[in-house]
Amino acid sequence: MSAVLGISGGYHDAAAALVVDGVVVAALQEERLSRVKNDPSPPLRAARACLSIGGIAAPDRVVFYENPYARIERVLVSLLRGFPRTFRQFPRAIGAQLGSKLWILDDLAEGLGVPRAKVTFVAHHEAHAASAFYASPYPRAAVLTVDGVGEEAATAIWHGTEQGLREVAHVDYPCSLGLLYAAFTAYLGFAVNEGEYKVMGLAAWGSPRRREELAKVVQLSSDGGYELDLSYFAFHTDTELGFSSKLEALLGPRRPAERPWDLETAEDRAYADVAASLQALLEDALLGLARTARKRTEEECLCLAGGVALNAVANARIAREAGFSRVFVQPAAGDAGGALGAAILGAMKDGAPRPAPMRDAALGVAVDAGEANMLASALGFAVKRVDDRDAEVAGRLSRGEVIAFVDGRCEFGPRALGQRSILADPRAAATRERINRAVKRREPFRPFAPSALAGTELRWYDEPGDDMTRFMTTVRRAKDTTLGAVTHVDGTARLHTVDPESRFGALLSAVERESGIPVVLNTSLNGAGEPICATAADAVAFFAAHAVDALVVEDVVVTRRPS
Amino acid sequence: MSRLRTVAGLLGHFLHRQRFFLAPLLLVLLAAAVLLVLTGGLSYVAPFVYAIF
Ligand SMILES: [Fe+2]
Repeated sequence: MSAVLGISGGYHDAAAALVVDGVVVAALQEERLSRVKNDPSPPLRAARACLSIGGIAAPDRVVFYENPYARIERVLVSLLRGFPRTFRQFPRAIGAQLGSKLWILDDLAEGLGVPRAKVTFVAHHEAHAASAFYASPYPRAAVLTVDGVGEEAATAIWHGTEQGLREVAHVDYPCSLGLLYAAFTAYLGFAVNEGEYKVMGLAAWGSPRRREELAKVVQLSSDGGYELDLSYFAFHTDTELGFSSKLEALLGPRRPAERPWDLETAEDRAYADVAASLQALLEDALLGLARTARKRTEEECLCLAGGVALNAVANARIAREAGFSRVFVQPAAGDAGGALGAAILGAMKDGAPRPAPMRDAALGVAVDAGEANMLASALGFAVKRVDDRDAEVAGRLSRGEVIAFVDGRCEFGPRALGQRSILADPRAAATRERINRAVKRREPFRPFAPSALAGTELRWYDEPGDDMTRFMTTVRRAKDTTLGAVTHVDGTARLHTVDPESRFGALLSAVERESGIPVVLNTSLNGAGEPICATAADAVAFFAAHAVDALVVEDVVVTRRPS
Repeated sequence: MSRLRTVAGLLGHFLHRQRFFLAPLLLVLLAAAVLLVLTGGLSYVAPFVYAIF
C-alpha cells in the first residue's frame, strides 16, 4: 500500500490531498478547519484530517506543490533586474523567502512527523496540470494552466497522454494574466486574491468599450501569445500596488476601496466598463492560448487549471470558440488544487495507476449530525430528527424559506455543490435581496447560482450541461426570466447540473415533486468574509448568527423557537 | 540538523542552473536567514507580496 500526501500553501489557499493506491481519498483546504479565509499557512490541520479520513498513520511520501529553490531564484533574479526600483522590497522579499518559505519542506516534515527525506516537491504548473488532467474523464487532452505565478511560469501549455504530461510551451513571470487580473482587482478597489470574483460579476454590468485602450496594456499576437506592457504595472517593483500611475493616466483614477457601490451612478458604471473591458481582454488572451494548445497537441479535449481558470465566463467562451469538443476545469483550480495534483504526481511516480475521473468534490471532512443535534439543543434551538429529510427541505423551500443545508463531506474548492450550501427557491428575484441582507451582505452585482437536476437544464438554459456544469465552472444563458433569483443582469447563470443518482440529486427530485421544478438557488454556506462551513459546530454557529429559517444537517432539522 | 538537506538543495539548485553570480549574495543571505529563523522570521501582509514572494 502506498499513501501519498500532497500539500499546497505558502501563498494562497493552502490545502492537503491524500492519494492511497491511486485512489483520491481526501482533499481539503486549510481554511475550512482553521476558519481563516484563504489561509496560506502550512496546512497541518488539513493534512491530519486527510490522513485520518484515509485511516493512515503516516504517509509514505509528502509532495509539495512547487519547487521552493526555483521560486527563490526567480525572486532574487527579478529583484536584481528591477534594481534600484526594487530596493524597498528587497529586505521584505528576502525576509519572506529565507525566513520562512525556504524551510517549508522542513516545516512539513516536522509538523507531520515524517522523515525529511520523504518530503519532496513537483513544479507548480505541473501540479496544476496534473490536478486538471488526471481528475478529468479524458484519456488524452491538451492542458492549459494559467495563474499569477509559480516558480517562474505564469502560463503553460501541456500535452496529457497515456505516457503522462509533457510541457509544450510556457510564458514566464512577469508576463502573467493572473497578475494582470489582480492589478485590475486592486484598481477597482477590491482585495487582491479575494475580489477577483467581484470583478467578473461587475463586468456583466458594463460594456467593453475600453477594450481598445487596454490593447496598449496587453498586446495579443496572432500566434496566440500575449505580452504585458510592464510600464502600466507595478507588481514587479512595488508590492503595495499592482498598477502604475500610467494605468491611472490611461483609465482614470482608481476606485476608492471603501465607497459603497452604486451602479446607478455614471461614475460606478464607468468602473463596470473597465471591468467588462478587462474581462473581454482576458477572454481574448485565453482563447488565443487555447487555440494554440489545440494546434500544438491536436487533441479534442481541453483541461484547465490555475487561478485564472476560476473565471467561469471565460471558460464558457473557451468551450464555445476554441475548437475543442469537450472542456474540463479542475474545480479547485486555484492553488488549493495544486495539493491534489502533487499527490497524484507523487503516487503515479511511485507506480500507482491514474486515478478515476473526479465525479464530485465531496472530498473533505464529514459532518456529524449528532453533534449538530447536541450543540443546537444546548443553544436552545428547536431540534428534531426527520425520516424524510428531502421532503422536509422541499416543503420548506416551497414555502419560501431560506435553508442552511449540510450533508456528508465538505467540498474541495471554492464552490458549494450541495454539501455546504444555502438553498432557496430560485424563482422570485426578491429572494436574492433577502439572502444578501440576511447572510452575505455582498455587493449588488454578485449573482447566486442555480443547481438543476442534470437532464432538465434545457427547460431554462440555451445549452445542455457538460463536464464543467457538474462543478459550476462555466456559465449558461437563461432562456427567460423564470428563475429570477439565479439569473445575472446579463442573462447568464453559473449553472450547476446535479447527477440524479447522487444524494443532492434525490433532494432536487423531491423539490420537483413539491414545486414542479427540480432547481434550487444554491450559494455557499458562509457569512460575509468567512470560509465555507465544514463541521457541525461551524454550521450551528452560522445558524445562530444569521437570519436563515432553518438549518438542516443530514436528518437533523434546527429551527428557532417562536419568541 | 535536518535543515542541512534544504541548504544543500538550495545550493545544488543554484549550481545546477549556473547562477554562480548569485552564490556570494546567497551566502550572505543564508547567514541572514539563520538569524531570521532563530528570531522567528518576519511577518507582514501586503497584497502583492502575498502573490509574488
Ligand atoms: Fe498557482
